[in-house]
Amino acid sequence: MSLSNAQIRIGSLLLVLYYVIAAWLFHRNGFEHSEALFYTEKLKLLFEYPDNTLITLGTTFPTTMFIGAVLFSPFGFLFAPIALTIVMMASLFYNMAVDLNNTSLPVKSMLIVLAVMFMFHPMFLYAAVSGRNVAAIMLFFYLLFRSFFQYYKSQTTYYLSMASIYLTCLIFTEINFIWMLLSFFPFVVLISIEGIKVTKGEQVVFQYYQALNNRSLRRKLANRTIALYLILFLLPLGAVYLYRTLNAAHAGDATYFLTSQYANWRVTGTISLNTILDNIQGNNVGKQTQIVFQTFAILLSPIFIVSLILFKGKLYKLFTVLTPLILFSIIMVDVKYYFTVEYFVIINVMAITTLIYLGRVRINTVLTSWLLIGGTVLSVFAGAYYFSESNDPEERQFYNLANTPSSWLQPKVTTEAMLLAEYIASIASDKRPVLIDDASAYGIIAHMPGLDGLIIPIQKSFVTIIENPTLMAHYICVAKKNNRLHNFTVLNVYNVGLMRANLGLTPSRVYETENWIIYSVQ
Amino acid sequence: MPVCALNNMIGVGLFTTGKLQEIEQIAHEYDYAYIKAALNFGFLTRKEYVAFLDRSGFPLIDIRAEVIDETYVEQCDLQQLNAYLFLPVRSDGRGTLTVAAADPMDEKLRSTLEIKFNTKIRFVAASDLDITWMVHKLRGEFYVKESVFSLMRKDPESSGLITFTDPQLFVIFTFIALALAMLTFSFVNIFIFLNVFFSGVFLFAILFKLYIALKGSRYELHETVTKDEIKAVDNSTLPVYTILLPVYKEDKLIRKLIWNLRSLDYPKGKLDVKLLIEEDDDKTLNAVRDLDFPANFETIVVPFHMPKTKPKACNYGLFFCKGKYLTIYDAEDVPDSDQLKKVVCLFRKLPRDYVVLQGALNYFNKNENLLTRMFTLEYSYWFDYMLPGLQSLDVPIPLGGTSNHFKLDKLIELGGWDPFNVTEDADLGVRVFEKRYKVGVVNSTTLEEANNEPFNWVRQRSRWIKGYMQTTLVHMRNPVNLVGKIGWRGFFGFNFFVGFTPITFLLYPLLLSFFLVYLIFDLESVRVLFPDWVLYVSIFNFVAGNTLMIYLNMLAVFKRRYYELILFAMCNPLYWLLHSIAAYKGLWQLIYKPFYWEKTNHGLTKMSHSAAATAANANQA
Repeated sequence: MSLSNAQIRIGSLLLVLYYVIAAWLFHRNGFEHSEALFYTEKLKLLFEYPDNTLITLGTTFPTTMFIGAVLFSPFGFLFAPIALTIVMMASLFYNMAVDLNNTSLPVKSMLIVLAVMFMFHPMFLYAAVSGRNVAAIMLFFYLLFRSFFQYYKSQTTYYLSMASIYLTCLIFTEINFIWMLLSFFPFVVLISIEGIKVTKGEQVVFQYYQALNNRSLRRKLANRTIALYLILFLLPLGAVYLYRTLNAAHAGDATYFLTSQYANWRVTGTISLNTILDNIQGNNVGKQTQIVFQTFAILLSPIFIVSLILFKGKLYKLFTVLTPLILFSIIMVDVKYYFTVEYFVIINVMAITTLIYLGRVRINTVLTSWLLIGGTVLSVFAGAYYFSESNDPEERQFYNLANTPSSWLQPKVTTEAMLLAEYIASIASDKRPVLIDDASAYGIIAHMPGLDGLIIPIQKSFVTIIENPTLMAHYICVAKKNNRLHNFTVLNVYNVGLMRANLGLTPSRVYETENWIIYSVQ
Repeated sequence: MPVCALNNMIGVGLFTTGKLQEIEQIAHEYDYAYIKAALNFGFLTRKEYVAFLDRSGFPLIDIRAEVIDETYVEQCDLQQLNAYLFLPVRSDGRGTLTVAAADPMDEKLRSTLEIKFNTKIRFVAASDLDITWMVHKLRGEFYVKESVFSLMRKDPESSGLITFTDPQLFVIFTFIALALAMLTFSFVNIFIFLNVFFSGVFLFAILFKLYIALKGSRYELHETVTKDEIKAVDNSTLPVYTILLPVYKEDKLIRKLIWNLRSLDYPKGKLDVKLLIEEDDDKTLNAVRDLDFPANFETIVVPFHMPKTKPKACNYGLFFCKGKYLTIYDAEDVPDSDQLKKVVCLFRKLPRDYVVLQGALNYFNKNENLLTRMFTLEYSYWFDYMLPGLQSLDVPIPLGGTSNHFKLDKLIELGGWDPFNVTEDADLGVRVFEKRYKVGVVNSTTLEEANNEPFNWVRQRSRWIKGYMQTTLVHMRNPVNLVGKIGWRGFFGFNFFVGFTPITFLLYPLLLSFFLVYLIFDLESVRVLFPDWVLYVSIFNFVAGNTLMIYLNMLAVFKRRYYELILFAMCNPLYWLLHSIAAYKGLWQLIYKPFYWEKTNHGLTKMSHSAAATAANANQA
């Protein structure tokens, strides 16, 4: 049994509809991911602020997400990142469903796997409705490994080139994936050995012995390995080099796109381990050590275990399947922050890719189908478990909302950012401007109807005004000490204290929420 | 049994009846004299034959030094003179006509000529090569003029005789005048506009190349003809195959050429090989004369006529071709041994509108120096990835210089090659497409000698780039008409691959130097030309363009497993600068010497023939 492309397209459209409804439900219940709001704010800067367009367009990272959101901006700045992730997830579904034609496993069972995973797996749902880069990571991760598996099948350079392009996209979606450079090493060497003419039919160990000890073969092995490496990494590394050069030329800092809170949500969005230790909620961070993390990730994805049971292939294929685990080991060397869902969800993606391309029926079709369906159902529960124990507040919020269906149709929730945006919009004007720093207040600006009456860092005068707000600003929006982002902005209570002492500033509080205060400074 | 020298040679044990029977068959099929078949199909060495004639009382006369009475020659057709290797010298005034013949013992020829001239014939022996030289010189005028002007007469729009048409000159000068006027009016803004526009063009051209190469890489392992299909071919069903070998002063390569031809897996009698040499090329002629072993090609002497180009020589050779299919090789080429059979198989498989098949070209001396390595990378990506990519997109394919295989009748219908175009092959590829025929790609490789000397390389490349400019100018004389003929897709494909190639090479050093001057010297006056966004675009184009070109070159190593060359792809930016030098030379020549054929010296490689043969075998494996 196989599905026609038209059927798969209809299925994908229905999935889009399902995700749109889910996103609407989550949104009206107050779930707005800060990363999505970050893109929304940058879209506003891009389209509504006339100067420095190039800086906004050229340095906002991750590039794939931002440029993608730009394409979806006609749907509204707030919805654009979510629309993008929904389309990416539907596209992932479409690609996987089309590729099912390649599988040796029972197609019906695989379709059930796909449907259940995409509709009910919390990580997949989160990726679609959060507007985060998770969907893009999943999509490019799938396309990357699909290209590898297709390369193994056809030995055509085209697939290597495509892998290289997808790897570039993946890195420009999440910079940590640049460490794939190292995690690819084992299977690239094994592919090279496979490709050189060693004595076929001999034991694998003997073939490796020959490849490494015969001078001519060793030279060939080295040449082929380097060639494979270069063809895989030239584009990503060239692109990163180019991006660094552009950042150096335009922002004066080659790593601006990684280190500036104005360019990259990760700077403010990730939860540092210190923060978690100060305010422990959830239990996942405890597994963030070598081996334990990989084991935890595998346990959260029983479908991955099923894929290993059904796996049939050579050693290099197995190493390819295990690449994410090697990647975890590498990035775990220097752990600074809590690893959120994107690192766990790729194991599920890898599982499905493996099933499609390397899965074989074990014992009989019925048992294999039960294995697949059982693994999928367990994966859904494991995904829920992950969210219930997550140390990331936004992931926990997602879980809590998803877990309380009774609240879904309650009156719409107004978030703190919405309230502040509404208030600022009511007081800001060109004559009475509000000084606000989008390093931490991007969520508020994202909800503003426009940028009129705001003094923001993208304006050249911002640096001067921040030194003495009374020069031009009428109001300042200040992050309170309990605001998680107060360290990322100069407009925090500490600096307001300094202004009081040094400038004789006498701000009067006009509006206050849990994390923000708006002062009048005139 | 025919009464001829070969028969007499059998009598003294210098020849065999079996060979003569084979020769009879060939002579009959080609309508040649026996001696021509024997000397040109690898049955007899010239030295042996001359010695036999000498012993038999027919010492060779130097026909080129004789006074010829052209009234008798004018009564003969060149085709007949060439096929039967004779030349009327003069009458002695007493009823005997002296005729120089390659085979003075050929009684059939004697009786034919006696009837023709109604006089007694006295044969004197002359070298077949000298007779060939003389007959083409004396009777080749009509044919050589046809070779030069036939296309111009039949299809003047496709002829490159006029380099720039009046409307083209008008457009070019208007553009230059407009640019200068606007630069005077607003230097900074117009400079920025031109800079960004041309860098955009540059990047777009490279992106397009990458796209095509990626498309082509999908067909990397696709075998249009398999080994099993080749094995199944019945030799008796194979048609006569013509191979044209245009050479000029390639005396050192003649021996190599014979070995390369011998290694072709095709019935000997069905290979109609023509060595086309110029009238003033005594070096090559003497090299053929001095061979110690039987030659397997026929020598055709191309009479002097300007322009002295390879396409003119090939057009001339066309008049003497006997094959159903035709291909061109250079003297140093080492084709895959089964290439001709593959072509025949593929032509049989493909629809009738496929009239040309292009084989891949590569190099046997790839590891000789940096230049040969870069050349190999370039050719590998071009022939292994770009051409299949172009074919899959159904856009005009600029044919490579050699190893293009034609259906002879269609080639003649197309008017042959344009003798005024120095990349006649690329031009012909477009003309094929214009006539709604198709070009295919065959999975077979010909190894050539990569240019290993920079000045020689620049000479060769300047000719190619000049030819691309000529081809663009010829076919863009009427763009609307061109769109009508080849469609929008073909139009863009043609302009990107043929038109933009010289433009990118011409632009590259300009854009690079503007940018480097800005970066290194940071002059105040230059800074104004690079506002932030222009700098952004320039940096992007500079890094992205070069990286993608390096990447394209890297792709090239995979199909042929030249992994050791991959790091050399990094040198591509320098290689491009060499292209730019050639491009400016080509531009200069386009204006001052548009038809001048920059001769590429071959035989410079230090690689031995056996090493080249090993490379060829490795390639085929």
